[in-house]
Amino acid sequence: MGNNDENSDLYVGKSVRTLEGKGPVSGRAKYTSDFNFDGQLYAHILRSPHASADIKSIDTSAAEKISGVVKVLTGEEAAKYIDPIPHYIDPTGLGGKVATIRCLALDYVWCYGQPVAVVVAEEKRIAQYAVSKINVDYDIKDPVIDPALALREDAKPVVRDWDSNLITQLPFSNGDPEKAISSADEVIQTEVKVHRFSTQPIETRCYNAVWEAETESITLYGTVQNPHPLRNVLSKVLRMPENKIRIHAPTIGGAFGLKMHGHPEEGLMCILSKLTRRPVKWVESREECLLVGAREQVHNVELAVKKDGTITALRDNFVANTGAPSATPGWAMSFLTGLTMPGPYAVRNLDVLLSAVVTNKPGWNASRGYGKEVTAMALEISIDNAARQLGIDPLEMRCKNFIKSDQFPYDSPTGLIYDSGDYSGVLMKAAKAIDYEGWKVKQKEALKEGRYIGIGIGFELTPEGGAVPGTLVAGYDTSSVKVGPDGSVRVLTGVTSPGSGNPTGIAQIVADELGVKLDTIEVIQGDTTTCPYGFGNASGRSTIVGGGSAAKAAKKVREKIIKVAAALMEVDEKTVNLIQGNITSGDKSISLEEVCYAVYTRAYDVASVVEPPLESTATFKPGLIRHTPDENGRINPYPSYSNAGFIAITEVDIETGQTKLLKISVAHDCGKAINPILVEGQANGAISFGIGGSMSENIVFDENGRQLTNNFMDYVMPRAHDVPEILQSHHDSPNPVTYMGLKGAGEAGVGGSASAIVNSVNNALSPFGVLITDLPLTAPRVWAAIQLARKNQPQRKVA
Amino acid sequence: MSLYPQFAKPNTTEQASQLLSGLSTGAVIIAGGQEIMPSVNYGHLMPSVYVDINSLKDLVGINFENNELSIGALTVHRDIQNNELVKEHVPLLSYAAQWVGGGWQVHNRGTIGGNIVSMHPLYDIIPSLLILDAEVEIISAAGTNRVSISDLLNDTSHGLGSKSILSKIIIKPMSKSLGWAYEKLKITSGGYGSANSAAIVETKNSKIISLRVSVGAVSPLPVDISSSLSSLIGNEWNDSLNDIITSKCSSLFDDALSDQQGDDQWRRSMASVMAIRSIKAALKKIE
Repeated sequence: MGNNDENSDLYVGKSVRTLEGKGPVSGRAKYTSDFNFDGQLYAHILRSPHASADIKSIDTSAAEKISGVVKVLTGEEAAKYIDPIPHYIDPTGLGGKVATIRCLALDYVWCYGQPVAVVVAEEKRIAQYAVSKINVDYDIKDPVIDPALALREDAKPVVRDWDSNLITQLPFSNGDPEKAISSADEVIQTEVKVHRFSTQPIETRCYNAVWEAETESITLYGTVQNPHPLRNVLSKVLRMPENKIRIHAPTIGGAFGLKMHGHPEEGLMCILSKLTRRPVKWVESREECLLVGAREQVHNVELAVKKDGTITALRDNFVANTGAPSATPGWAMSFLTGLTMPGPYAVRNLDVLLSAVVTNKPGWNASRGYGKEVTAMALEISIDNAARQLGIDPLEMRCKNFIKSDQFPYDSPTGLIYDSGDYSGVLMKAAKAIDYEGWKVKQKEALKEGRYIGIGIGFELTPEGGAVPGTLVAGYDTSSVKVGPDGSVRVLTGVTSPGSGNPTGIAQIVADELGVKLDTIEVIQGDTTTCPYGFGNASGRSTIVGGGSAAKAAKKVREKIIKVAAALMEVDEKTVNLIQGNITSGDKSISLEEVCYAVYTRAYDVASVVEPPLESTATFKPGLIRHTPDENGRINPYPSYSNAGFIAITEVDIETGQTKLLKISVAHDCGKAINPILVEGQANGAISFGIGGSMSENIVFDENGRQLTNNFMDYVMPRAHDVPEILQSHHDSPNPVTYMGLKGAGEAGVGGSASAIVNSVNNALSPFGVLITDLPLTAPRVWAAIQLARKNQPQRKVA
Repeated sequence: MSLYPQFAKPNTTEQASQLLSGLSTGAVIIAGGQEIMPSVNYGHLMPSVYVDINSLKDLVGINFENNELSIGALTVHRDIQNNELVKEHVPLLSYAAQWVGGGWQVHNRGTIGGNIVSMHPLYDIIPSLLILDAEVEIISAAGTNRVSISDLLNDTSHGLGSKSILSKIIIKPMSKSLGWAYEKLKITSGGYGSANSAAIVETKNSKIISLRVSVGAVSPLPVDISSSLSSLIGNEWNDSLNDIITSKCSSLFDDALSDQQGDDQWRRSMASVMAIRSIKAALKKIE
């Protein structure tokens, strides 16, 4: 089912405009912050100005005296009413240490920006003003900021009751890397330093907790990616049963992992609402939003290679600075970085060691790519360096080492099972689209004029739809399809949308499976009261499992409609056609509405052949996921392995160090594009992340661990003008274990595009012998590298 | 700092200066609001009194009289860009105003007066005004003063504080035979400028006979570097002048800024790169 023929009666495969896009574009969408209730109160949070300090005392008396202040809550009082936040992914599951995460600091603070107290007031500005009147007496300590220093034996533990600053240290090994390295023609070392950059949706986080007096329950309106799992967490924090908590996630203005839960403000707003018996709202400022960390890793990659470019072993000892402990799933991204080595490459000898370290920087949360983008950056930058040193074309070097398309399903050396793929086909398609060979000629011509053009390659393997055993990160999900007596359709899903358009993709699937028109379908998500128990959006899963489960449910409902239609038309049900809401059998026809109405109203007569109502709930549980450890204790948490190849063309202004991205080409394998516009939109977004991450976005701290980056003047994200023409191609290898071969398209692109850009800049600067692997490639950094190269090689005549 | 600020909207400059002289330091003047409101929204600034000067007629309008162009302080960037008098008499300023950051909304609301009094090192208006030898008129309860823009920058006693109002900018028209340029180094379209330079040149028989150059966004305030480049006068442009400019600039910016867009060493080097680019672009205009 599904095709690319625009004249087809089927929707799958067509670039349908999103059904839910009109609201946000026209300003009519209702975001969390747009919800207000009678007696609405507003919260403002006092955050630690220090990276590490003991809290000696907190004096809230001046704040409490301010007219309009309803409640001031400190960590000490909060501990009486609420419990610590359970971890989204408990480190003990990966052999790690666990810290107690509280909504408000108790006794000491372990990072800049940590919530210390909160004020609730009649107006937002009163709460803000009152916070400035709280007096905290801190005993400031020297912070641990540098992960290398954090790992030293004499380092002070960030978590006071830990014996070291390691959350966990995990090896990912296979084969005989020692032998391969010692017998290699060459061993090429590359240190790749990926900096701290995060995700910054237009809509920051917001929670509005409403105490429902009648039922003594709480409704939390929130920017929440995973409503049901959050409800479970809040039940533990608030000491309330899950059935007394309702989470409603309305339209979301971008999430990218940031709105995965474990944030202190979720539980805080709920308990403040319970204590004040009034609705309490908190809207995150941009300054607060920038406190989230991600990606900061240092890789020491060694590639054992033959002279012909074949990679025989990979060694990588890498350290992740995950900041202070957090209940959000951020820290576990470092695990995925190691687990997805060596990406798309057929390297069997592996010696990778992850050290996940805590420091006094603010903690991580999930961010698009979920660690797999850093795998791509470490691998792609290292492989480019190897190709350069061996004098091999980097495209050829990659194609030589890719897993071949006839090797799937492929057992990776870390225990993963890759479903399908044609990696060299993907990359060659991207290269052809941008005219890779042609740019090599243009590059030479430009150099004669003193212009430095670079051509860079990146590839990214992005497993999607992940499931972690023993956590509410599940591989399956559930949908209900409900057709009313009037023939209109409601689809309720356990998956949610961060604004990516998956409701439209799911509606396209249901329209085809059910046989109705697309505009008769409404997709409802993000409400724990009405939607089936589900796991929300993460890991590019929503269309795979949301679409897969909705398709199953739609098929069952279709069977009922056909049966009743056959009875009404007095024909054999095998002769009944249902497409686009038209029911026919030979030259007979009947309206969909008439059949649906009959199901509800003639249950004891002609419609008695089916059980009313026209509703079905189904779960889709993709195969390939293996949670029973193999003989080496390894699991496969993913059912599908999306991948994408990138070619970036840049021009570097050697006087200023400024890089201009001229063009970028991407070929994407998402298994099957339900709606190409949606897939391309996701790729465009991910590439913009890659552009910002590789060139300008960077979160920095002073020597005392205070975060210096706190607005968009300092955290410079790309704007439309910075994003060049993006050439998009699809090269789909269907996944054999998912509905229609879907692989997911929500994440791939960040690491691949970032690596292509970095490799492109280094390629442009190769006449200077410059190789920058310390990211981001800001203009000053590029400029300094050129200056250094010129100083070291003054005889080299360039430009 | 006040939770319940007051709002005043005087109708004349006289009323306004009287009012300001009687207010404490918690008062702020507000015109386009592009500088103040972000700080207020962030909670970094909680003024006790907002003095809205939008009703002051003396601060409105662009006029050309007695061979002087007078631009009211309330003139928004959009008008500086599009006004025919500004385009005709000081095309450099009109062009530089296009580079003001923040996009259309800021251009429509932000005023030239607000841009000047914020004295932000990275902004785009002052570098041009410096080499145009612009003057500004300042009104306070003590009377009306006219000072050069360079004095305003360099002499702290002219500091506007919260008691004075900048009313207009006065500029002599540029000769049509001059070449001019404004070059801005902006690493991404969303970022602030990292270095900029305005230049005005005059040539005779291809030789430079006068040269005015300023550099902004490198040091805490834009700098007029014309006197340091006097040795360029009398020369026809050639690549050896690059080295002279680079060498002169290298000693001019000991106080170079260091921020997240770039360290001081880079910024210092960018001063000469942008100066060279603006001079070359200005020369090209003459051709």
